[in-house]
Amino acid sequence: MTTSTTAPVLSIRGLTTTFPGPRGEIVIVDDVSLDVGRGETLAVVGESGSGKTMTFHSALGLVPSPGRVVAGQVLLDGADLLRLSPRELRQRRGAEIAIVFQDPLTALNPVFTIGDQIGEVLRAHTRLSRAASRRRAIETLERVHIPDPHRRVDDFPHQFSGGMRQRALIAMAIALEPKILVADEPTTALDVTVQAQVLELLAGLKRETGMGLVLITHDLGVVARHANRVAVMYAGRVMEQGTAERVFENPRHPYTLSLFRSIPHLDTPAGIDLTPIEGVPPNPALLPPGCAFEPRCFLAGGRDVCSARRPALTPSDVPEHLSRCWHWTELAADRSPS
Amino acid sequence: MSAEEGATDLTVAPSAWRQLAGSLRDHLRHPGLAVGTGLLGVLFVVALIAPWIAPYPPLKTNMSNTLAPISGAHWLGTDQFGRDVLSRILLGTQVSLQVAFAVVALSLTAGTLIGAIAGFAGGWIERITLVIIDILLAFPGFLFALALVAARGSSLESVIIAVAIAFTPRVAAVMRSVVLTIKPRPFIESSRAIGMSEWRVLWRHVIPNALPPVIVVATVSAATAILAEAGLSFLGLGVQPPTPTWGNIIADGNALITTNPWISLSAGFCIAIAVIAFNLLGDGLRDTLDPQMKRQTGRGLL
Repeated sequence: MTTSTTAPVLSIRGLTTTFPGPRGEIVIVDDVSLDVGRGETLAVVGESGSGKTMTFHSALGLVPSPGRVVAGQVLLDGADLLRLSPRELRQRRGAEIAIVFQDPLTALNPVFTIGDQIGEVLRAHTRLSRAASRRRAIETLERVHIPDPHRRVDDFPHQFSGGMRQRALIAMAIALEPKILVADEPTTALDVTVQAQVLELLAGLKRETGMGLVLITHDLGVVARHANRVAVMYAGRVMEQGTAERVFENPRHPYTLSLFRSIPHLDTPAGIDLTPIEGVPPNPALLPPGCAFEPRCFLAGGRDVCSARRPALTPSDVPEHLSRCWHWTELAADRSPS
Repeated sequence: MSAEEGATDLTVAPSAWRQLAGSLRDHLRHPGLAVGTGLLGVLFVVALIAPWIAPYPPLKTNMSNTLAPISGAHWLGTDQFGRDVLSRILLGTQVSLQVAFAVVALSLTAGTLIGAIAGFAGGWIERITLVIIDILLAFPGFLFALALVAARGSSLESVIIAVAIAFTPRVAAVMRSVVLTIKPRPFIESSRAIGMSEWRVLWRHVIPNALPPVIVVATVSAATAILAEAGLSFLGLGVQPPTPTWGNIIADGNALITTNPWISLSAGFCIAIAVIAFNLLGDGLRDTLDPQMKRQTGRGLL
């Protein structure tokens, strides 16, 4: 998007990642463009398998073999991560752009103490001594609100609760104050009260350090509360993108609208059925030639343009609100009845 | 931030030591592990002080007192050259334990590295390594060691090198398969995401997590190494006489087995004790290193 007030810190342009399949290349991340500014939270939403995680793994050069990034740019402060040597990329990973992984229970190495693993990030990137990195580890644990960090720094992961492990992972990720923090479903494995604490923590850290935050999630409640901007992904494509306010108030893509309709609300009367999205997420090897959402879309209704031609991500009623739908104007016309 | 400032934080909390002591205590509660460790401890002490506790110089022949029976002066009698059998067996402990420890150290180091690199790198490196491992495993280990000793000439080093080379592929094969189970774990990916180099990931995260099963294999192979040394010495291809080893004591007593069975039997008994000790240690480590396998091998021993 061109209308951000400041230049974005992270700018993903036309990123495309493919995996070899039995009948040619399967496109998993399809021409994805996203921007994250300083101190901004971008939420990337979508069903499982919509390419959210793979987009950022591609951006960081972590695509598992045999997949590969075939096109696009990933500009971090102007430098294209995809064009860096493995060594230069490694120096930026963890230091300038960091990821918090989905599952806090397995993302920590069971045989080392928490302090060791935080110190490891520091020693991989700086010349801090063991003692100094241990000190920094304690400070970082304090910043993520681990109680009694002087003692807990010598604990092993199994001595931490799930929420504490997630915070330890966040501590590893922020130890070097990266410009961009990618939190990949940071709360999926946690219970609701701990979820709120972790999200609050991330928001606080963002305010303190001014880092850009990417929140990969399928929890729309989290998005509504924490995101500045939202990108909705489906079948590896960005379907709709805009400020959180606009996307929630005036969704301009039928997929987004269907997602909202499928969530229960506290203020809807009991007994009213939820509207599920019919069908299943598409097999990325067998996408229709037109719009990827067409087979499940309530707007398509067998219209030829939907099944034959692939819509582009274009501005809808306001320039920074993008939609990948031929008929978004119909959504603008009749305000959703949900 | 200077290193000096942080120096006070470097001291490990006392609770960590207490934890370590506690876990050692837990481990020694395992009967097999306790007995194995105890027996090995005794053997180790004997090997260390053998020159001082041996009642006679083990190489000193006494042609006027050959094939003496068991008596107060010679607890296990003398052999056909009048040498005290007990003294020779005590000294033989040194060779056997040297071989066991050296073989474990060599094959564990080489096997761990080869297996870890093969499993972690994947691709053609893994394929080539696997082919070589399979070829080496297809040889019977003892024959392989026999051939190597024959080529290098018999000496203590030859025996150690030969047996170590015979065992390295076993360790490497186990290491590789364990590494394959660790490679897809999320913390490996997260180490890459924090910008660690591949070598560092391998060294810091993969190998420490893969070690427990490999240590078990190495311990058990120590027992086999003692047997292999004894076998080679028995055939006259190991440590050369007159240096006493359990294997050549058996060989010396072999011709006299009907008249003076104690010579061979006592050395054989020592070999059995050492092998059992290493096997118990290996089984015990297998049980205690894997928290999901709290079986207690050898409970009946206590």
